[in-house]
Amino acid sequence: MPKKYHIHPKAAPLDLEYVFKFKIVRGENCINCGKCTKVCIYEAHKRRKDDPRRMADPNTVVCRNCFRCIQECPRGALEKSLEKDFAGIGGDFWKPDMLLSLWKQAEDGKVPVSGAGYRGPFTGTGFDSMWTDMSEIVRPTRDGIHGREYISTSVDLGRRLNHLVFDAEGRLVSEVPDTVDLPIPILFESPTADLSANVKEALVKAAAEIGTCIIMPAADMTPEFTEYSDSIIPCLAPAEIDTHRAVIEKARLVAIEHSDALMSDLPQVKEEIRKISHALIIIRVPAGKDVEETVLRLVHSGAEIIHIVADYCGREINGLPGSERLLKDIIRAVHLRLVEDRIRDEVTLIASGGIAMAEHVPKAMLCGADLTALDIPLMIALGARLYEKPEKQLIFPEGLAKIPVPIVTQRMVNLMGAWHSQILEVMGAMGIREARRLRGESGRAIFFEEVDRDTFGKLFGKNREAVSK
Amino acid sequence: MKPPTVVVKRMPSRFKHQVPKYKVTRSDACINCGTCAKACPYGVHERVEGHNRAKPPIDYKCIGFACQGHDFYCVAKCPRQALSLSLNPMYSTLGDFRWTADMITGTWIMAETGYPPQRTDLEYNVGNSGGGFDKLRLKLPAHPPEVDKSKISTAIPLNRRNDGRANIVISTPVYGGGMSFGSVSLPTMVSKARNATLWNTFTCTGEGGYPEMLQPYDDHVITQVATGLFGVREETIQRVKIIEFKYAQGAKPGLGGHLLGEKNTASVARMREAVKDTPLFSPFPFHSVYSIEDHKKHIDWIKEVNPNALVSVKVSTPSDVDMVAVGSYYAGAHIIHIDGGYGGTGAAPDIAKKNIAMPIEYAITKVHGFLKEEGVREAMTLIASGGIRTAHDLAKAICLGADGAVIGTAELVSLECVRCGNCESGRGCARGIASTDSELADLFDEDWATQRLVNMYHAWNVQLVDILQRFGMRSVRELVGRTDLLEHIDYSYETELAHHG
Repeated sequence: MPKKYHIHPKAAPLDLEYVFKFKIVRGENCINCGKCTKVCIYEAHKRRKDDPRRMADPNTVVCRNCFRCIQECPRGALEKSLEKDFAGIGGDFWKPDMLLSLWKQAEDGKVPVSGAGYRGPFTGTGFDSMWTDMSEIVRPTRDGIHGREYISTSVDLGRRLNHLVFDAEGRLVSEVPDTVDLPIPILFESPTADLSANVKEALVKAAAEIGTCIIMPAADMTPEFTEYSDSIIPCLAPAEIDTHRAVIEKARLVAIEHSDALMSDLPQVKEEIRKISHALIIIRVPAGKDVEETVLRLVHSGAEIIHIVADYCGREINGLPGSERLLKDIIRAVHLRLVEDRIRDEVTLIASGGIAMAEHVPKAMLCGADLTALDIPLMIALGARLYEKPEKQLIFPEGLAKIPVPIVTQRMVNLMGAWHSQILEVMGAMGIREARRLRGESGRAIFFEEVDRDTFGKLFGKNREAVSK
Repeated sequence: MKPPTVVVKRMPSRFKHQVPKYKVTRSDACINCGTCAKACPYGVHERVEGHNRAKPPIDYKCIGFACQGHDFYCVAKCPRQALSLSLNPMYSTLGDFRWTADMITGTWIMAETGYPPQRTDLEYNVGNSGGGFDKLRLKLPAHPPEVDKSKISTAIPLNRRNDGRANIVISTPVYGGGMSFGSVSLPTMVSKARNATLWNTFTCTGEGGYPEMLQPYDDHVITQVATGLFGVREETIQRVKIIEFKYAQGAKPGLGGHLLGEKNTASVARMREAVKDTPLFSPFPFHSVYSIEDHKKHIDWIKEVNPNALVSVKVSTPSDVDMVAVGSYYAGAHIIHIDGGYGGTGAAPDIAKKNIAMPIEYAITKVHGFLKEEGVREAMTLIASGGIRTAHDLAKAICLGADGAVIGTAELVSLECVRCGNCESGRGCARGIASTDSELADLFDEDWATQRLVNMYHAWNVQLVDILQRFGMRSVRELVGRTDLLEHIDYSYETELAHHG
């Protein structure tokens, strides 16, 4: 049995301001009686240090919305509302609560746990319109959450053979292609933002620490990163192969941006890279309208790893605004197209764009991806604020550039540690012990449209929306 | 119909203020003439003789814009136009998609008065989740047949196997969900048991053992055998009339129970025969059960230990829940209790609550249908939980095929839970409901809590009887599986026409 994989979280508070959810305002009719200091168990209310006769402004960062001060203030002098900053952050996809949760996970590396039932909508779009299934009594289950059974999250990148060929003497004739094994089905990507030096360094170090790789522009591969070559996937255009010879030589994986020319040039590009190193080639394909056909053709011409890149909210690239396909459906389409042509096993699919929460990783895999890649959550872990409107904007907290690299690194490691534990929970519940087996395992997924049609559809007739479409 | 032991009595909030929906603002133009205080029948305005300035309005008593038509509407009455009315921003911090602020407020009113709210500005029957129960509507006929309300029965039998075991009938088709000692306070548990006794129904211990204080209510307590086997002894199994196997919990399907270290206090640890302050994780699954045959052995064991008790099997809602239900019938269970993904919990990973297994609405439909196809529906009691928030949810669940429901969150909301979700952290519930902290668990007494629960159950029963009457039914048992009385707003043209036509 391979060594058990574990990510080591360590509390890494970041002494920078972040958004909070609730705002409490003390009205003028406060009589400084101190009742609120007694009833608040989170210590949001305190007396002023310089003048203990008076109450200090409420420290609402710690408020957990229990309403006790509100309900027990003898004068009704306290008012609570949703903090404006909180309501304005993120957008339709990157919900404010998600950002807070990611920030918290980066802080302590723990799985977010809360009391009371689920509080969100019944279903939503994309990954929110599916549930992961679980096992109970009649199907074997796994108890991996607390390490009682080992659940592996390892995945391979590279081409797999459909079958092996042996000669008459029983010797293996097939040439078994190289693969790269990653212990977690998550790759890092460099965000397209102006990153400070410490963040760049931390991205690489965090990837190395958890055993994954980061896809970054080959041009950013400065010499101090050479020792991390195993953890870096240089990304380049076919024309730049010669320029980045040194980088390619040391790399295990190389990423190439897709272009129309590549369709015919692929064998030649592969050959060029092979002359330099044994690196496997990832082709990054934007998730456009015809992505499944593009992928199909690339695989037929020998692509071994395809990276499907949707936009940062998991939407199709250049789709009709409002009616773009979402990552869940894009992956399913590509996966099923490859299955149909019986070449699914010959290629590894990486899905990225809108991988925002831990649940998106196993869900993307159930839909047909082998693994995922992400960038924005790693930035939110550092306190970056993301806004969707009027356009995508990532704002880094002031002072981040001065935070020491080990803390920045640890926060990314923490976030991935929390995600890894959550992936284990979902896999354990599904009764799946090998992340490789998640791929396309739609029997362990419950899709809203299907279950709704099979139950309510049978009872209540045709869905109105389906009819109008 | 309520049993004679049930007495409705007004039981107000234990806090000075409630969470206001509206905000009444008094400007500096006020001359403290007292017109508003005289006019408002709800007591929003108070004027104290001899004070220069009027007191700030008591927002939570205000009935809001619905008041505009009345001649006592303070905003219109004020001679100086000093008053204005708006929605209170505070209200948006209460509740969520599933349990809206209106639904929480409505439940509080029920717990206080024993009846559904009279206010017309509260949508307390459906939530805002945009699916499931929130998109199903009861097709109540405009001209209901004449049925005498006092003759309508809400009782349901729990043993339908005819196997010589206890013939238990509960007076209302609802019982209290399993909440362990440790996840909730002792007063909460005892009040739940007292309410169950008064209502001739049940409550459940959860998996944290059987506190001595529950013994006077043994006949109305279900004790749970869960994967951790915390506090399970032969003696506790022999004490009760129903034993429940908890295979899984809707809020965290596929995961065991979870009690954080802080809540594992000395008394909790003693009850669970565990070490104080250590977090307690129940395993998942029962490591002794990997097939229906194993499952049957489990049930046989309990039946052997207590020859008169009924066995309930609590499972969550994977896609093969129908198979599990039929298997449970063949294994000898009396009750199949399916717990959907939106159920409450003292602590569960957010990822599990949101993502694992299907919502209860689908599961009821599947299980009811499959038990029927297998010809065993009549021999099983199908209980649904995990997302039954209101009497309307209950009626809809029954229409979909359940015999009754288990509720948890609604009980806690009656005790003034605000669903802040901090049950699991630190000292636990700031409101004293789900805490074992010595100071916090003392925030209310059992008489208050019992009455609030009795009242809420009563309000639900009133609503259920009202629904049955409007359908012209004499028993809640006639409602089971009547999907023809439901409509789904995504699926029907009629509703659309009714709304716009």
